[in-house]
Amino acid sequence: MNFDLGPDQRDAAAGARDFYRGSASPTAAREALEGGAVAPGRKALADIGFLGITVPESAGGAGGSLLDLAVVAEQGGAVLAGPSLATAARAAVLVAGAPHLAAQLADGSAAVAVVDGPLPGSSPSVDAAGATLFLGLDDDGALVVGEGEATPGRPLDATRGLASVRLTSRRVLAEDAGQLWARARQVAAVVLAAEDLGAADAAVQMAVGYAQQREAFGRRIGSYQAVKHMLVDAWVGVDQLRSLVWWAAWAADAAPEELPLAASAAKAHAAEVLERAAEACVQVHGGIGFTWEHDAHLYWRRAKVDRLLLGDAAEHLDAVARLAVAGALG
Amino acid sequence: MDFDDTPEEAEYRAGVRRALEEHAAELLHVGAGEETVDAATAEAELRRTQRVLYEAGLVGVTWPREHGGRGGTLVQQAIVQQELARARIPALVNHIGLGMCGPTVIAHGSDDQRRRYLPRLLRADDVWCQLFSEPAAGSDLAALRTTAVRDGDDWVVNGQKVWTTLAHVADHGILLARTDPQRPKHAGLTMFVVDMHAPGVTVRPLRQMIGSAGFNEVFFDDVRIPDSERLGEPGEGWRVALTTLMNERVAIGGAGSDLGVPVETLVAHARQRLPQLDHDRQVLARQAVGRAVVASLATRYTGYRRFTELSRGGVPGPEASAGKLAGTAAAKLVADAGVRLLGDDAVYAATAEGDETWQRSQGFLPGLAIAGGTDQVLRNILGERVLGLPPEPRSDKSAPFAGGAR
Repeated sequence: MNFDLGPDQRDAAAGARDFYRGSASPTAAREALEGGAVAPGRKALADIGFLGITVPESAGGAGGSLLDLAVVAEQGGAVLAGPSLATAARAAVLVAGAPHLAAQLADGSAAVAVVDGPLPGSSPSVDAAGATLFLGLDDDGALVVGEGEATPGRPLDATRGLASVRLTSRRVLAEDAGQLWARARQVAAVVLAAEDLGAADAAVQMAVGYAQQREAFGRRIGSYQAVKHMLVDAWVGVDQLRSLVWWAAWAADAAPEELPLAASAAKAHAAEVLERAAEACVQVHGGIGFTWEHDAHLYWRRAKVDRLLLGDAAEHLDAVARLAVAGALG
Repeated sequence: MDFDDTPEEAEYRAGVRRALEEHAAELLHVGAGEETVDAATAEAELRRTQRVLYEAGLVGVTWPREHGGRGGTLVQQAIVQQELARARIPALVNHIGLGMCGPTVIAHGSDDQRRRYLPRLLRADDVWCQLFSEPAAGSDLAALRTTAVRDGDDWVVNGQKVWTTLAHVADHGILLARTDPQRPKHAGLTMFVVDMHAPGVTVRPLRQMIGSAGFNEVFFDDVRIPDSERLGEPGEGWRVALTTLMNERVAIGGAGSDLGVPVETLVAHARQRLPQLDHDRQVLARQAVGRAVVASLATRYTGYRRFTELSRGGVPGPEASAGKLAGTAAAKLVADAGVRLLGDDAVYAATAEGDETWQRSQGFLPGLAIAGGTDQVLRNILGERVLGLPPEPRSDKSAPFAGGAR
């Protein structure tokens, strides 16, 4: 057994950390709420190659595995970067049979989003705001691509680029695409869970750092068990989420039959782990953590939105139970 | 990244499987749904099972060869554990001796003690127990009050231990006692090997909250222990005890195995019971089953990460405490979902067919959240040693124990 990242993945994660720290931040996430652009934005992600990590080399991508992408996505999550690599990964699965679209996805020449119908409309979809090319599944189970108009609501977390879409044109890319669509959604759930892992880890680190410094009643607040145990529970959740994210991302390429169970387990756990970490982060900071200027609420916003995207915990727990009872645990 | 055995591991596993099949007739097995066997009722069979396994090379896998072990790796030990579970062989009768007492004797005993005790421990000729907790010293172990007073070549022991697993069948125990009450609480302790059949040792089984008698209270009335049975120097008992406790954490923390009922058992139970519920109840039950499965898998795969670290020669760190903490929580979710799926039978101690699996697990798990480090102590360890949070201020660490600093 070797359940660990390889040296190449560790290097990729370190490089991604440097890139994201230099190009996105909670501050940028706050500015996006105030009308600024989402950082680092599609172009920067395309230029560094992150949109094409799982796109084949023949189409201009890196031909990497989902695990290669997940370790990068974790670093993006840590600084609340956008657009989500979940969108790129989901689209890469869907356009596997259309190399020219894959190439446009990877080099950023098309701003792609994947919309959850019913078409021609959609429910709020990730990174749809600002996208120019939309992928969807129509009522007949066909994968379609087209242009459309995106209508965002007032953002709770602006970095997610959520908008409802009405397609104004569409053409069929593939008939009978239900299974492909399901796999793409599972892949996206894994990547979103990876971003949540990074965000939850960052929120716990922030809260731990504060608890090591802040004094009350004559001593540092991290010494109080009420505070300490809350942070430990949040950290244990993060540590366990990392295991599920790695397993699910590995399964996507190495053991596809395990992906549905692993993806739902990771997404369900991610929703709750990030929420717990972000709420603990606000709570440990006290009044300052409840201010607009502090970063804590930006992680809290990410938690409150992400937990509902690509299926909430209730949906994924139900899927886990159904799959397990049907024999997915072996 | 992969989850398969290496060729060497696969070969070792095949050898373990062959040995277990070859000796199957001589080994005690538990039925489906049973996890353990009461040591009092099946003592002879349990001792024989361990002896047979020892002779097959499957006990003391990681112990040095000079002490009767196999000089193997932690990975090999884990493979043996997995295969014993797969073959439905109950916990070894000397699991406390193998996991905690033996390693303490290896680390701190004299050559004479190692020679006399370790081979017999491995063969289950002697069963061992760990005499640490007392009525007034549980999580705060260093507050213990049992005394050992030097008298010529002997020490004379008086006091009481409690929650002592296996004391009712044990031949020897490792005993932590206070030898110098004038020193601060951690500095006045000494570790001994005690003969459980010595005059003045009285063992009284305690009935656990679910009715079975798995642990005991042990009374010491002027029990004489020769000084040659000391483990480590006088006053060094706390350091010696930390060896034991570190081994306990590794023994319980597990490398990817479920504490409590395996989640696969819950899934099989759900497969059978779900169709008997009405639609709304099925929806609710799937939420509970899904939650239990996710928690179990999260703990299992985190165990695989720790296992990978160990297989590369890493030493178990304080992170191992997270395995027990999260594993206990997951086991509670599994047991609770299992009980709820019983429907009307859930309010009884057994189903109409006499199955106690879920009630026994539900009733056992509150103990698991206490034994081997309470959930709260584990959170303190993780908070201080992994997250680097400051400890709570303490007033009991520097003043003499006898002066009231307890």
